[in-house]
This record gives sequence, structure tokens and C-alpha cells, in this order.
Amino acid sequence: MEFGLAALASQLVVGLSRAMILFIVCAGLSFVLGVLRVPNVAHGSLYMIGAFSAYGIAMRLFGGSSAGFWLALILAPFVVALVSLIAERALFCHLYEREHLMLLLFTFALMLIFGDLVKIIWGAEYRSVSPPALLRGSVSMFGASIPRYNLFLLIIGPLVAIGLWLFTNKTKIGKISRAAAVDREMVSVIGINVSWVFAAAFVIGCYLAGLGGALVAPTVSVTLGMDHTIIIEAFLIVTIGGLGNMWGALVGSLIFGVTHSFGVLLWPQFAIVFPYAAVVIVLFLRPRGLLKSVW
Amino acid sequence: MLQVEAVDKSFGDFMAVCQANLSVGRGELVAVIGPNGAGKTTLFNLITGQLWPDRGEIIFGGEDISGLPSYQICKRGIARSFQIVNIFPRLTIFGNVQVAVLSQQRRSSNLFLPAQNLAVEETKSILESVGLSDKATHIAGSLSHGDQKILEIAIALGNEPELLILDEPTAGMSPEETAATLELIKNLASSKGLTILFCEHDMDVVFSIAQSIMVMHQGRTLVQGNPEEVKGNKKVQEAYLGGE
Amino acid sequence: MFRGIIDLKSLWPIAAIFIVLLILPPILPRFYTYILALIFVTSLLAMSLNLVLGHGMIFQFHHGVFYGVGAYTAALMLAKSSLPMWVGFVAGPLMAAVVGLIIGWFCVRLTRLYFGMLQISLGSLIWAIVFRWYSFTGGDDGIHGIPMPPLISSLNNAYYFILIILVICLVALYLILKSPFGSTLEAIRDNPQRCEAVGVNVRRHQLMAIVISTFFAGIAGVLFVVLERSVFPDLLFWVLSLEIFIMCLLGGWFTFAGPILGAAIMVALRTFIGIFTEYWTLILGVILILLIFFLPEGVMGYFLEGFKPHAKEVAERRGE
Repeated sequence: MEFGLAALASQLVVGLSRAMILFIVCAGLSFVLGVLRVPNVAHGSLYMIGAFSAYGIAMRLFGGSSAGFWLALILAPFVVALVSLIAERALFCHLYEREHLMLLLFTFALMLIFGDLVKIIWGAEYRSVSPPALLRGSVSMFGASIPRYNLFLLIIGPLVAIGLWLFTNKTKIGKISRAAAVDREMVSVIGINVSWVFAAAFVIGCYLAGLGGALVAPTVSVTLGMDHTIIIEAFLIVTIGGLGNMWGALVGSLIFGVTHSFGVLLWPQFAIVFPYAAVVIVLFLRPRGLLKSVW
Repeated sequence: MLQVEAVDKSFGDFMAVCQANLSVGRGELVAVIGPNGAGKTTLFNLITGQLWPDRGEIIFGGEDISGLPSYQICKRGIARSFQIVNIFPRLTIFGNVQVAVLSQQRRSSNLFLPAQNLAVEETKSILESVGLSDKATHIAGSLSHGDQKILEIAIALGNEPELLILDEPTAGMSPEETAATLELIKNLASSKGLTILFCEHDMDVVFSIAQSIMVMHQGRTLVQGNPEEVKGNKKVQEAYLGGE
Repeated sequence: MFRGIIDLKSLWPIAAIFIVLLILPPILPRFYTYILALIFVTSLLAMSLNLVLGHGMIFQFHHGVFYGVGAYTAALMLAKSSLPMWVGFVAGPLMAAVVGLIIGWFCVRLTRLYFGMLQISLGSLIWAIVFRWYSFTGGDDGIHGIPMPPLISSLNNAYYFILIILVICLVALYLILKSPFGSTLEAIRDNPQRCEAVGVNVRRHQLMAIVISTFFAGIAGVLFVVLERSVFPDLLFWVLSLEIFIMCLLGGWFTFAGPILGAAIMVALRTFIGIFTEYWTLILGVILILLIFFLPEGVMGYFLEGFKPHAKEVAERRGE
């Protein structure tokens, strides 16, 4: 098959920027999985709410202006965090002692509810968000034209990774939640209210879902059903990375994003098959994921 | 019949079992003793394939069985009970033992016959021999701890083993239960001609019924011999009296 | 051969239900006959999952794939080949079982959540192929207007056909669960390590259970084709798999007939709430949450709690 360096470079950038979005979402999912031990099926719905909130703020309130976009990027994740905080304190926190499958069932119920709430609030049409003036258009690199917004994502991704690393390693709440992930009994023994640690971890994880949703909004059409696609990808990424391992989420996202974009190059019709095949290969070679799982 | 030769097993940096040796002759009642953490349970897990040794050989019936999966070791005639109760809590007592009997009869994969009409006599006679017949229809999870430990032994008997391994069969039992259980073990050994390897904390018990005793300390075999030899051994006295 | 495993007294209510179901179609409006038939198909699907889930504690997260493979195999053979019709009907379940064998072979090396995740990725691979292979599977359009033998082409006849196959399958599943295979499977559910120690090859046993379960899922897939005369990639999408999973939990996954109840509730909710509002998933979600809080053993489990010996044990284990 013939393809030039330019096509290769531009696909690589597309794949990497997609990987950054996936990483942000998966880091959140992985964090919740690590601390609460709950596969949060509603994580994708929170991502979708993030994207729709960004649309609502940037396009409806501010009519697509640049300031509106930046404001949306800051506010939309907080909207998601607020929604998750309400769900956690009102319902979820009463279930922590129950069997894991019941928790899974609960998050599935949340997914159903959130999906319809989005439909009620924003409707079933396709929505789009325009990027701010600064990030419109493309730049020329390696003979390929690369959208500025993708380059922006390539900067944001590592920043979030560093931020998360600082959070989990340098702040008290981060350290506590890491400890809770490894040994929750120990944490409760030393007099920390585990219930609030869980709440904080859940909200932070969901905040990341919302951030991912807000960031992805200008690159895709915002629509119902985007929760279904992302959540399955996110679960697979977290699994191949090692459950609960943040760096594993990064590695998994890179594998997923890059194999998909090269799949587009190699065999467009079946591009979607490539990342799944990559996951199968990884799980076949390393059944417990590439990096150490906290489970 | 069973020869354990220079077996090692480590977990990370911790040597749980180091240069362990053990020999069990046909028809013998052999005990393994040692302080907590000496590696007794790990040694048993190595013999029955729950764990695989890093080095060394485990010879049973003339063949090296180390590294075989536990279901194959069981098929070769070694059955065991566990220190921490390890039964099928949602099944009945009868069902617990029947699973083992069906497995022994190689009928576990039979799809076409009703299980409740199979292996009935064999299962009943095992329950009879351990004194659980009157509770056959009880759910295992609802039994007392003592009865669950007996059930452990009954499940192991379901495999008609040549060598029966009992890991602290009386752990957590009251003195009366302990006495009754030891009587049961002695009876089983004599009536079914079983070879039994067990470990136990109560020294009086061990020295009264075992024909051969192996002493473990910090993962190593200190000595193996008959009760008098072991009692007189210097190293054993040190390990038990001075070593801790 | 069935001595002692079928209690004649408990057979009467079941026979009564069966007779009522037999005389219903001429009386009922077409729509209700259709819904009942859909409940039958879905029940069989949920029952097939519960063989491995409730009785084997195998986290079969992507059971829908085998349903879809069964349906697509039958549909493709009926629509595109000139082979006799019954060949397609037989090929569906067989193909599902073969796919079950392949996917299961990879998955049984892992346990629990990792098992489920590997299965989701392998299943999604198959979904992606079906979804994209327009020339063969019709891609996201699916295949519609599949021809049926005249004998089962009317709705009422399709209903009877589905009902009879369902009853045969339920009897077969019941016998399998009561066989040594089934009791050993339940022993593995309770304690895989101990089961291995009594000489059971746990992985092989689980793989066999998966193959049987996927075979029945394939039958459900064929019945879906009989009823709907169409197939589409959503049959293999993970959302459906999760729904089947939830039917089992909802109905009571430690009971034999719980999944039937779960399937009936899900299909009925979707249909009848769907008539009043387009936001039926919202209401389904709320009902699910209520169930989680108030009926944790599932609906069937709740009604059987008084008789079920394990309920107490489960409660004790949770420290209640």
C-alpha cells in the first residue's frame, strides 16, 4: 500500500490527539476503579454530559465566541462534577457495602437515566461546537496540514497527566485516595472518613470524564450515543493498561488511538477493528494488563 | 510413597519453604509440626499443586508430580483438606461430598443423567464414616465450624485417595471436638488403610498418634523421625524452646 | 431416567401456564402475541446466560455476541443460500457454539472482571466486523425481509414454534443443571480452588459450560430471526449484552426461572412505558435503582427467600 510521509504524520497527530482525549477520560475511570473498585458504566454518560454542557455554554450562552469556548472548557467539567457529587451522595454512597455486581447494575441505571436526561435537556439532534479563534485552521508540518486544535490537545494531555501525577503524589487527598486504593481497611483504621474519600475520588474521576467531553466537543459532532462508544473503549483501555493504574491508562490510550488512526490509513472500512485487535493481542500476552494493576 | 526432595518456594524476597525434605511411606501416619509461619501450609500447597515449587522434586508413586495442576495431582491419588474451611457453602453436605465422588468416578462432565441418582451409595457411606449422615441435607454454609472441618475431611475422602493430606484438621475446634476428630482420623487410617499426612499444633496429639514426625522451622526441615528421635533432637529443642 | 428430579405437584402450575400460553394467540391482539413471543426469545437468551452467570459465576459480559452470531448465521443462510431452510436453523446455534468455544478458550484463562473485559474486546471485534462488512452482512443496515418456511410464516405459527422450542430448551437446561455437570458447575461457582483440588479440571468445565450456554444463545438468535425476519448489528452490541446481564440479576440469578421473569419485566417495561413516553430508559433506570435498594436478591429471589436456604448464608456473609 502506498502512502506518503505527510499522510502518516497527519494520521499520527490525529491518533495521538484522540489518545489524549481517551487518556483524560480513562484516567478518571481508572481512578474510580482503583479507589472504589467499581466499574462505572455511567462514566461515558458523564463524558457525554461534559460535551453537551460545553455546547450549551459555548454555543447557546455565548453564541460561539472564543471566550465562550474557554469558559465552557472550565465550567463544563464542573457541571459534570456537580452531577456526579449529587448522584454519589444521594444514592451511590449507600451501596458501597454491597456486592460488586450490584454496584455495576447501579451505574448502568445511572447511564440509562443520564442518557434520557441529556435527550430531554438538549434534544436528539447533532450539535457542534466551534473552536476559539486561536485554535481554528491548521498549520503545515512535514508537508501535512495539521489542525491547530489537535496540537492543542497534544499539549493539554501531558499537562493533565502531570497535574494528576502531582495530585496523587503531592497532595494529602491524593495520597489518601491512593492508599485507599491499595488498602482501604488501613485508611479507615487511621481515622479517615472513607466515605468522603470515596466521594472525592468519584467526583474527581467524573470531573475528568467531563473535561474529556468538553475537550472532544469541537472535534466531533456532539450527539446521543457518544456515551456508548467511549465507555466500551475506556474499559478496554483501562483493562489493557492495568486496572486502576493511571500510567496504564496513558499507555492503553496511546495504543488505542494510534492503532485506530493507522487502521484508517491501512484499511479504512475496517479501521474500527484494529484497536480491538490490539486489545486482544495485549490481553493475550499480558492478561492482567501492561502495567501493575492495583487490584 | 511420597518423597519431597529439597523443595524451595519463595514469595518475592520471602523464602516460605527452603530445602524441605519429607518422606511418607505407605500406610504411615505422618505429622508435620513447626511454629506458625514455618511453612507447613505452603509445603502442603506445593505437594497438592495449589502452588508450584521453584526448585526440588516431589515424587509420588515413582513420578515427579511437581508443577502438575492440582486436579491432575488429585487424580493420581492425593486428596487434601484445608486449614481454613474451604467447602462449597451453597451446596448441601451431600452435594459437597458428591462433587468429589463424581469427579473420582470421572462423571463430572456427564450432561444426561440426573445427578441426584448418581454416586449415592458411595457418598452416603462416606458421610456415615465421618458421622455426618443425619445432616446430609443441610446447607454446608450453615454448619458449625467443627462440622465444616469434618466435612473438609469427608470431601477429601470422596476422591478415594491413597494419600490423605490434612492441614490442621482440628484448628479452631473445642477440646472435645478435637479428641473426637483425632479418633476419627485414627479410625480412617486403620479401617480404610489410608496413608495420612497431617499437620497439627497440639503436640500431645501429634506425639500420641503419629508414627513419623517432620519438624519445620523457618521453611527448613530440621529433622524427620519417629516421636522418640524427634523429642530427643537438640535442634528441635532449640527451635521450640530457645529459638523464638 | 428422570426419576426424582421432576416433582409432579410443581408441574401442575407450569402445565397450566403452558396451556394458557397455547390458547392465547387467537384471542389476543396481534401486538400482544408479538410481545409475548419476544419475551419468549429474550427469556431463552437470559436463561442461556444464567447457566454460566448464576450457576457458574462466569462473568460472561458479552453474551449478546453469540445471540447475534446465531441470528446472523441463520439469516445469511436463509437469505443468501439455496440450502434447505432447516440447515440455517441448525447452523445458527452451531456457529454460535463454535464462536463460544473460540472466545471461551481465550477467556477461561482469566477470572472475573478480566474475563469479562477480554470477552468484551473479543466480542466487540466481531461486532465491528459485522458492523462494517457491508457486502456480506449489510453493515449497519442489517438484513431485512428474510424468507421463512410457510409453516412458520404467520405470526401465530411463529409464536407456537418459538414457544415449543423455548419449552424444549428450558427442559434441556433444567436437566443439564441437575446433571453431574450442572452440580459440578455450581460447586465451581461456590469454590473453584476446592473444586480443582477434588480433581475437576475447572477451566475445561467452564469452557464446556460456555459452549453449551452459547449454543442456547444461538437458538435464541434463530428464534429472533423467525419472529422479526431481520437482523442488525445492535444484536451484537455491548449494550444488549449488559441488558441480558441485568435481566438475570433483576429476576434473581441464583434461581432457575428468575431470568425469565427478568426478561419479561425488561421487555414489558420497554414496550409499555415506550407507548406513553419516549423517555422509557429514564423510567427503567429509576425502577432499577429502586430494585437495587429494595430487592437485592432479584424479584424471583425475593419471593423465594423464605424457601431458599442460601439466602440466609448470603446475608450472613454480608454481615447483616
